[in-house]
Amino acid sequence: MTSPRERILASIRDGLLKASLPAEPNGATSRRPDSPAPPAVREMADQFAAALTALSGHVHRASGAEGVAGVIAGIARAHQAASFISWDDAHIGCPGLLAALSSHGLERVTYDVSSDRDRRAADVHALAGVGLGVTGAHAALADNGGLVLVSGPGRGRLASVLPPVHVAVVDERRLRPSLEALLREEPRLLDAGSNVVIVAGPSRTADIEMTLTHGVHGPKHVHVILTP
Amino acid sequence: MTEAALAFHRRIDAALADAGLRRALALTAGRLAGGRTAAFDALADADACRDDARRARAGAIARLDSLLDQFAREASARGCSVHWAETAADARRIITGIARERNIRLAVKSKSMATEEVALNEALEQAGVRVVETDLGEFVVQLAADRPSHIIAPIVHLSRQDVAALFQDKLGATAADVADIPSMTALARRVLRAEFLQAGMGISGVNLAVADTGSLCIVTNEGNGRLTTTLPRVHVALLGLERIVASAADLAGVLTVLARSATGQASPVYTNVMTGPRRRGGGAGTGPAGEPDGPEELHIVILDNGRSRILGTPLSEILYCVRCGACLNACPVYRLIGGHAYGGVYPGPVGSVVMPGLHGLEDWSELAHASSLCGACRDVCPVKIDLPHLLLEVRREAASRELAPLWIRAAMPAYSAVATRPRLYRWAGRAAARLARLLQHDGWIRRLPGPLGAWTASRDFPAPSARSFVEEHQARKAAAK
Repeated sequence: MTSPRERILASIRDGLLKASLPAEPNGATSRRPDSPAPPAVREMADQFAAALTALSGHVHRASGAEGVAGVIAGIARAHQAASFISWDDAHIGCPGLLAALSSHGLERVTYDVSSDRDRRAADVHALAGVGLGVTGAHAALADNGGLVLVSGPGRGRLASVLPPVHVAVVDERRLRPSLEALLREEPRLLDAGSNVVIVAGPSRTADIEMTLTHGVHGPKHVHVILTP
Repeated sequence: MTEAALAFHRRIDAALADAGLRRALALTAGRLAGGRTAAFDALADADACRDDARRARAGAIARLDSLLDQFAREASARGCSVHWAETAADARRIITGIARERNIRLAVKSKSMATEEVALNEALEQAGVRVVETDLGEFVVQLAADRPSHIIAPIVHLSRQDVAALFQDKLGATAADVADIPSMTALARRVLRAEFLQAGMGISGVNLAVADTGSLCIVTNEGNGRLTTTLPRVHVALLGLERIVASAADLAGVLTVLARSATGQASPVYTNVMTGPRRRGGGAGTGPAGEPDGPEELHIVILDNGRSRILGTPLSEILYCVRCGACLNACPVYRLIGGHAYGGVYPGPVGSVVMPGLHGLEDWSELAHASSLCGACRDVCPVKIDLPHLLLEVRREAASRELAPLWIRAAMPAYSAVATRPRLYRWAGRAAARLARLLQHDGWIRRLPGPLGAWTASRDFPAPSARSFVEEHQARKAAAK
């Protein structure tokens, strides 16, 4: 008795023997010219800001825990958010930020979703009304305004997808020209957590009559605070 | 003509008679195609990018057996359960089994053509699992008990008024809820958010799997793909076995052209890569902390359902396809008749190759005739699949299997016999032209006799000139002397 796995692989091998796949040009390497030396941080920051703004995202600049917390508090007020879920301080990369947000009257809701079925439902329902998510980012991509978020302990997925507003605090030194450049630098990045997501702007749909609408499932508002 | 071919022609007639559909198709396909063109124009090295993507896909298909095996091993090593489904029935059995064993009552789904292909929703519903489509377009399709009409824009065929009426009828929406498109979108968000928070299982397709890390990549704009793969305790991903690349670098190469081809975006809003289920810490407060969220179980169902058979046929190049839908938007036939007319899960030029490839020529080869072979599909394909060539292969294979109408099979050898004998050919040409001129009126033939009448049923045939090309040529040569 063979297993379905063995039968499928055998069928593929059989197909490959008979296959008349077109001949491809030789060489595993890209024919595209190598990217030039990475541009200056300032240049990438401007490019990133332009790309994200074009996607209806918002870019701010601030420095220090107090400065960043002030910007976030303003965003929270504008959206009437009283509480937030977030990454741990160490992973946002802005020491003292969570304490500063607390002094602005914003309540951090912490969570660790239960693996038990029934308790899990209660855990996620408890987060349903939270108005704001705060994260850092592993990297930011200058060419498309993307944030690269890697899940891990203290770096949950939900902060960037469940609340209607997402704020990411990004050190400018984390800017990279493109996803390709980032992956050249870190070829094993996809394995760094159970989830690596690139977020380029707010959630959108154009399913009804090709009319662009924001915030269908993910956050309707995406703010990035660049820090020096 | 076979029953399947006749049914296809009836669906085409119905589509052509639907003025609203034609307006909607012109708008949607036109905008998507325009967006694609602009996105590629903005790339400095667009053609080289397509070459890169093609190289990644061709390289993967050429060693599909070893990559797939590697992918399965790497995914298992990271805690995934890998299942192998030879047929659609196997996929349904495996996934309903996972749901039943865990007593799942509600599953949320992000958009997946592969689950449409295996008719998964019906099987789950029969097993007592309520299934909710969460992509806005697919949600509408499900409420309407309809079928998607475009790979990436499922409700091309519906107007905002159609959607508003449906929401009022099925969701009890108020007039304010459906006042405009943002209001309808907000309503869908509220309704579906409640389902996300409750669901025990999330079901997705896979855009591309990465062999060397056992990763799954799903791209969405709405974010439903992220919620589907994060909130429920169990995530089940259905992976067509050809949708694989070797490495992260190859994934990036394909991603460069995927969204640009699909919607004209430089990238999707969410490029979501999953490598194993949620990673647990040392536990019991002693070891390192684990991830605070994500699914406890990740099941990957690898689907064959005819794909490995395509590999051994002249259609094998179609396995490079990444289902962006660009060939639909570019196709002058799709733009007139829409997705439903094709009758299968995959419409347009790609569908006219995939459907006969997966499900047999008997019922599906007629689709390959719904093409002028203009080559627009090949020109926009992000991995440069030679679609016109594959459409011809479908036609050739169907003819050799005696699936073409009897008169064509009789007429072609006769034509060949005449055309290879110059004297006979000239005589026959003159005779045919004279006969044809008897049927003409004001330079046009409105109706040809016999089976040729099918050609003039929807268009006029220009009357042949009184003199053949050879006669004209000889006359001019004589006059020049």
